[in-house]
Amino acid sequence: MTRRGICAFMGAMVLLMACALSASAEDALMMATTTSTDNTGLLDVLAPKFQEDTGIELKWTAVGTGKALEMGKNCDVDVLLVHAPAAEKAYVAAGYGKDRTEVMYNDFVIIGPPDDPAGVKGLPVVEAMKKMANEKAHFTSRGDNSGTNKKEISLWKKAGMEVPDKEAWYVQTGQGMIATIHVATEKGAYTMTDRGTFIKFEDTHGGNPPLAILAEGDPVLFNQYSALAVNPERCPNARYELARTFTEWITSKDIQAFIGDFKLLGKTLFTPNAK
Amino acid sequence: MMEPMYLLENVRQIYGGRTVLDVERLEIQAHTITGVIGPNGSGKSTLMRILAFVEKPTSGRVSFQGLPWAQADLATRRHMAMLSQEPYLLKRSVQANVAYGLKIRGISDTPARVAEALKQVGLDPERFARRSWRELSGGEAQRVALAARLVVRPNVLLLDEPTASVDRKNSDLIQRAALDARNRSGTTLIIISHQLEWLQEVSDHILSMNYGHLVRVQ
Amino acid sequence: MDYILSGLIQALELLFQGDPETFSAVKTTVLASSLSVAASMAIGTPVGFWLGYVPFPGRRPARVVVDTLLSLPTVVIGLLCYAFMTHRGPLGDWGLLFTLPGMAVGQTILGLPIVIAMTATAVESLDQRLKQTLITLGADRRQILLTSLWEARFSLALAGAAAYGRIVSEVGISMMIGGNIKWHTRTITTAIALETGKGQFATGIALGLILMTVALLVNLAMTGLKRMSGT
Repeated sequence: MTRRGICAFMGAMVLLMACALSASAEDALMMATTTSTDNTGLLDVLAPKFQEDTGIELKWTAVGTGKALEMGKNCDVDVLLVHAPAAEKAYVAAGYGKDRTEVMYNDFVIIGPPDDPAGVKGLPVVEAMKKMANEKAHFTSRGDNSGTNKKEISLWKKAGMEVPDKEAWYVQTGQGMIATIHVATEKGAYTMTDRGTFIKFEDTHGGNPPLAILAEGDPVLFNQYSALAVNPERCPNARYELARTFTEWITSKDIQAFIGDFKLLGKTLFTPNAK
Repeated sequence: MMEPMYLLENVRQIYGGRTVLDVERLEIQAHTITGVIGPNGSGKSTLMRILAFVEKPTSGRVSFQGLPWAQADLATRRHMAMLSQEPYLLKRSVQANVAYGLKIRGISDTPARVAEALKQVGLDPERFARRSWRELSGGEAQRVALAARLVVRPNVLLLDEPTASVDRKNSDLIQRAALDARNRSGTTLIIISHQLEWLQEVSDHILSMNYGHLVRVQ
Repeated sequence: MDYILSGLIQALELLFQGDPETFSAVKTTVLASSLSVAASMAIGTPVGFWLGYVPFPGRRPARVVVDTLLSLPTVVIGLLCYAFMTHRGPLGDWGLLFTLPGMAVGQTILGLPIVIAMTATAVESLDQRLKQTLITLGADRRQILLTSLWEARFSLALAGAAAYGRIVSEVGISMMIGGNIKWHTRTITTAIALETGKGQFATGIALGLILMTVALLVNLAMTGLKRMSGT
């Protein structure tokens, strides 16, 4: 009984392994993107459309910006969809990426307790940062080298300061955006977030969130999303043609319009701006 | 002259500097019943294990049916069966336990022979064959263990205190089964027991052991 | 507190409405963990048996090493595997990254020390009389080995259950090697991590309950098997 049973079981396992390995071979495009992009749900609606229009299956993994770029360097993915323009440009210059194409944008906002203890409401964002530092207002940062985090760091620099890394009022969570917002809520602190995540946060609280938008609209809060193909010269296994197909597809008129129509709670999350 | 079943010459067993067995000469003839008596630590069990070809003596010559230890192989060992003082049953049914010896020898026709062996030890196959090892009393377990040895019809049956921890009824059944084996199949029996009366009754020879030495009595 | 209650309700909804994402995650979890537990047992049982049965020089230090590996964090295993499986790494051409078999490999590394250590202990705890009994019944070396293994089957089953528990509940390896790709390498645990990261705590709890249900079913099956082999 048992010996035959074990052999049969082993055989089944080997077969399963073989199937599982071969299944991933078909026309599939591997993408690395950021967690905040994935969390908006945009890719969940774009991917089926992409498969319908081109027959290519889009598979993506959502990680921090730093890790996404690293994956491209390691030739583990074919295309990147990230929002860290400075890093992207350096990436292309160094030969890791190719065909950087701007796709869409949204913006960042400063949120904080509605009673605004540091009094930053309505100020231009750089002034707001200075005021928060002066008042030693509680501030939570992602502290994870993500695109969002890099943006936040650039704001401190624009305000003429070093990142308040060792200050007691500055808390680095090392986690994603929602987790960071939760910490901010607990501590009654300020934080910087992308508008899309804030809209989802609002939604979770039935339209009545414990934190409010206090500073927005400043051009420096602009958050540009771009697609980059992994350089096939560095990575012979990268599916460059499929990556190009994707980039052309997502910047096409129809899809750009589709992105503009993508709403959460009746609010637009992304503004298409492909050239 | 008939070759003895066993011939031991100058056999010594030493554990960590202590001589536990020292036998100058011992002959055991086939089809005989040899009883072994002696106080604890006198080397009885060691002698049994050497006779069962389970343990090798530190020095000396042991031969079985004229075959010296060095030439004894698996086939030789399969002529003997030993029942230790506290026998161990495998974690399976009574049927499977008794059939184990047959299975490893590649013998089929097990149900019939298992039933025969169980009857020899006074256990009704209908009632006991499918019981699990957990569901047996001490005496029943002992008898199942004996049946597992009898079933292979060994040339030599070595019994180390077979009735030590069982009650009168089981004791009788075990003793009867052992005798049966000799009478019906000519099995050579070597029995260690504290029941001197019974040994005197059935044995052809009795060996008395003390501090590893043996003295033949009777 | 209401997370837990709404989690419970959501779990039932997901199950009975046949939510495709949930069932995909369940399928991935079951597939990956079955592969890795099977591999851990297949490799780990003989190694553990040898470790517990055969006295060889260096046996005790070897045992210490195995026991220490029990504390390997899953993220570390994930990282090490990634270093090997990445396209620029030594095993890059095997195409294991972002695949289910890749995850199974990592999870096997997680399960192996458990199986080896517990098998070794099981073998060491075998009754001393067993070997002698088998010898006196006329078993040869191979038969002694196999019979001893079968005698230890209840402890071996426990080793399998322990490995299974550790494997099915891990996140670090699945996340790093699998990439949490929807429909492909998203397991129940990585899905929980994702939902919790998005602030959907009730969904996280729902998925957790579903995972426990899967584990319960597996263990019921195992109990049934144990009972059958107990006679």
